[in-house]
Amino acid sequence: MTTATASVPSSLTAIVGDSQVVSDPRACAAAAAGGRVPQHIVEPSGSENVAAVLKFCADHDLAVIPRGSGTKLALGNPPRRYNVALSLRQLNQVWHYEAADLTITVGAGMKLGDLQEFLGRDGLWFPLDPSGGASATIGGILATNASGPLRLRHGAARDMVLGMKVATTEGKLIKSGGRVVKNVAGYDLSKLLIGSYGTLGVIVEASLKLFPRPAGRATWVLEPGTFEAARDLRRRILNSPLDPLRMVLLNRRASSRLQNAGEAEGEHSLELWVEVGGPSPVLERCARELVEMGRSVGVQGHRLIEPAAENYWRRLIDFPALWEDFDALVLKSTLPTATCEQFLSLAQQGAERERVNLAGMVQPGVGIAHLGLWGETLASVAERQVTDLRKAAEDLGGALVVERYLKDFNGKWDVWGSAGDSVESMRKMKAVWDPRGILAPGRFVGGI
Amino acid sequence: MKLTAMVRELERLLGREAVLWRPEDLMLYEYDGLSSLRAPDVVVFPRNTEDVVRIVKFAASERLVVVPRGAGTGLSGGSVPWQGGILLAFARMKDILEIDLENQRARVQPGVVNLDLSLAVSDAGYYYAPDPSSQKACTLGGNVAENAGGPHTLLYGVTTNHVLGLEVVLPNGEVIHTGGKFWDAPGYDLTGVFVGSEGTLGIVTEITVRLLRKAEAVATLLAVYDRILDATRTVAALTARGITPAALEMIDGFTLRAIEEATHAGYPMDSAAVLLLEVEGMREAVEENALHIESVCQENKARYVRRAKSSEERDLFWKGRKNAFGALGRISPSYYVQDGVIPRTRLPEMLEFIEQVGANYGVKIGNIFHAGDGNLHPIILFDPRDEDESRRVRAAAGEILAKCIDMGGSITGEHGVGLEKINLMPFLFSDDDLEMMRKIKAVFNPEERFNPGKVLPTSKMCGELRANVSPGGVL
Repeated sequence: MTTATASVPSSLTAIVGDSQVVSDPRACAAAAAGGRVPQHIVEPSGSENVAAVLKFCADHDLAVIPRGSGTKLALGNPPRRYNVALSLRQLNQVWHYEAADLTITVGAGMKLGDLQEFLGRDGLWFPLDPSGGASATIGGILATNASGPLRLRHGAARDMVLGMKVATTEGKLIKSGGRVVKNVAGYDLSKLLIGSYGTLGVIVEASLKLFPRPAGRATWVLEPGTFEAARDLRRRILNSPLDPLRMVLLNRRASSRLQNAGEAEGEHSLELWVEVGGPSPVLERCARELVEMGRSVGVQGHRLIEPAAENYWRRLIDFPALWEDFDALVLKSTLPTATCEQFLSLAQQGAERERVNLAGMVQPGVGIAHLGLWGETLASVAERQVTDLRKAAEDLGGALVVERYLKDFNGKWDVWGSAGDSVESMRKMKAVWDPRGILAPGRFVGGI
Repeated sequence: MKLTAMVRELERLLGREAVLWRPEDLMLYEYDGLSSLRAPDVVVFPRNTEDVVRIVKFAASERLVVVPRGAGTGLSGGSVPWQGGILLAFARMKDILEIDLENQRARVQPGVVNLDLSLAVSDAGYYYAPDPSSQKACTLGGNVAENAGGPHTLLYGVTTNHVLGLEVVLPNGEVIHTGGKFWDAPGYDLTGVFVGSEGTLGIVTEITVRLLRKAEAVATLLAVYDRILDATRTVAALTARGITPAALEMIDGFTLRAIEEATHAGYPMDSAAVLLLEVEGMREAVEENALHIESVCQENKARYVRRAKSSEERDLFWKGRKNAFGALGRISPSYYVQDGVIPRTRLPEMLEFIEQVGANYGVKIGNIFHAGDGNLHPIILFDPRDEDESRRVRAAAGEILAKCIDMGGSITGEHGVGLEKINLMPFLFSDDDLEMMRKIKAVFNPEERFNPGKVLPTSKMCGELRANVSPGGVL
């Protein structure tokens, strides 16, 4: 099914209105994904329009990649084809807000920063701190299952989404779940859409569970000299009643990158950042016991003073952005929670062997590790590094995905690794939602 | 296929001791917590995944229906074999396969009893958080099928928030693995789809769950009220102030009197309602929250608030709650439990509505429920031999659930749709919503070989239901 190119913009304009279709090549170049540039950017103003655009594209075999602020467009394999960038930015309304019930329903284009500001007036928040920070949209965060270190205390999108509305390639709007905090009626389609990278349908609206902000917060930096000390410390903290909000372990290159510092001699090799939250008696006890726990394994610690702490956290969460000006490889490994230190240690050894730079930020207790690799010789060893690191992660019982490629390596190997023996079911699932294969074709696991 | 041939073949595949077929043996398997319709043709007891695959392949070759069953404690008819066929009972698949405390994970067979998992890791200081009231009997496989809840899921989340990976047998005998020991396995979150699918997509043969560390401190409070309205207002006020107890249960006066007579939990016989509240966590946080809760209860006219002084007293408070259904069973030949959910701000209005419905239909309704997450369990007492009363009970229940839908809520918070609420689905979901769910079912279970006729009404049924009746009339 081919379409005369000239009629596409006018047909799209008929659906969404004049001002919301852009076909200017320069603007389209900015919406590129995996090296492919779309011919049109369409920005509908409502959910019905999103559904209509999807139906039009399905009928005319135009490949679509949905997007919010574009902070996660580097994720996934390069698309096999790409005609329309479908921007959800105008879907930024609050549809339903019941502060007293701790629930909210928002459009997918709502920016996380705007949402937090809105909720802040009532002392509430949506406790997710994914990369992309304040500009990431709710739809994008859910579609990519983005999370940050706050996951330690609050879980991920799958734990906080009560329901959603999704536009399908048939041009329909379907709902899953609802806006009450407990609901088992029907299949949980929200789980399926979360982390589907826009390959099944387009999330247009989501109902979220909200939480009160902690009364106070404090960040402690502990400096274990070795991975063994880091592991002992992590065990002590997680086996204690302290219940931190966030906890990350950084290697030396990660912390110096974070502080924009050079690599001064004598810097400690590892830093364990621990943020605790609660009323002041809780914070006081945490302070006392964190220092004590550090001391018991021979580790020094200090408290970071606000607002510097919050600033550092913001940069740290946006880990992939730390390499914006570099040609770097960014990897994310998901692991059994207690294997993070071991994985980082293995990665560091590998990087030393291959003479490349490696910055690592791992979330012990959650089981997520982010690695940034760069250096002059990286191009020649990158493929081997990915293969080795993926094997290391899989041997530890986890997986590894490539979050950002080197420029020259775009698309030469698989971003995702294996999805195991359920990949056929996933293909069938894709065929149910997107029989013509127009949604982000080829970007997902197994070439879905 | 003739029954004798079916039995002979299953006995050959699994051994004689793994198959039940005599009518007197099958009687036990014709009902769950909801109803009794008909017995299965045979009951089989696999010991491992290979046995399940054998059974499923045999069923596929003979075009037989397979219905999985844990302990049969479900309340929506999810494991009732209403079309006969093979009932696959998990009583012999009850091994805890792996406990990995360092990673806070356990891998279990589906027949493991919920409480047994917590007991197995208790000495090391861990537990499995979802705690359905039937946790002494119900199985983790059944919990996964129903996405079971429980009082403490208010703070810690329901089953789906604690399950990371599954092994599933599909109707063609294929075995797939979803998720794993870690979060965010690459690919679609099929684990999240299987949890709560009520045995209609695949048969789960292995489950990987998260274990939590026990809290350092716990405070259990009993707040006593002279008016139901004040109790429901307390719940709304606590939520609005962002105080999330680990559990927040409400019991109305009628129900607590029945409980008190049966268990002597120490609930005051003359009160209109009690709230059972529990806060957990760090000592300092627990103290602060307990004081906060006490003052919110007082502000909302609690007669008094009592804090359990010992673990014995705490157990006693909970004993009453957990044995409530049994206590009501002592005073009524039967009862019908509802599972609606509403926004917590609407609780005061809803409880008045329920009282009105009871009066209108001339039926007695007790309320004992997870107030903190707005998950109602109105319990309507009746005598099933009285046909007119049974009809009025169903009508009253339908009206309550219709009101839940009206308030933007749900028809089920933790018990599932099963057979029971299938006719209400068209009032909660549109044809397009349900059509997508049917397609998803067809991905895994295209011929409805597994647990047929549950969860999703046929499209023909939807039109007829909506055309002819209001949601109040279809239960």
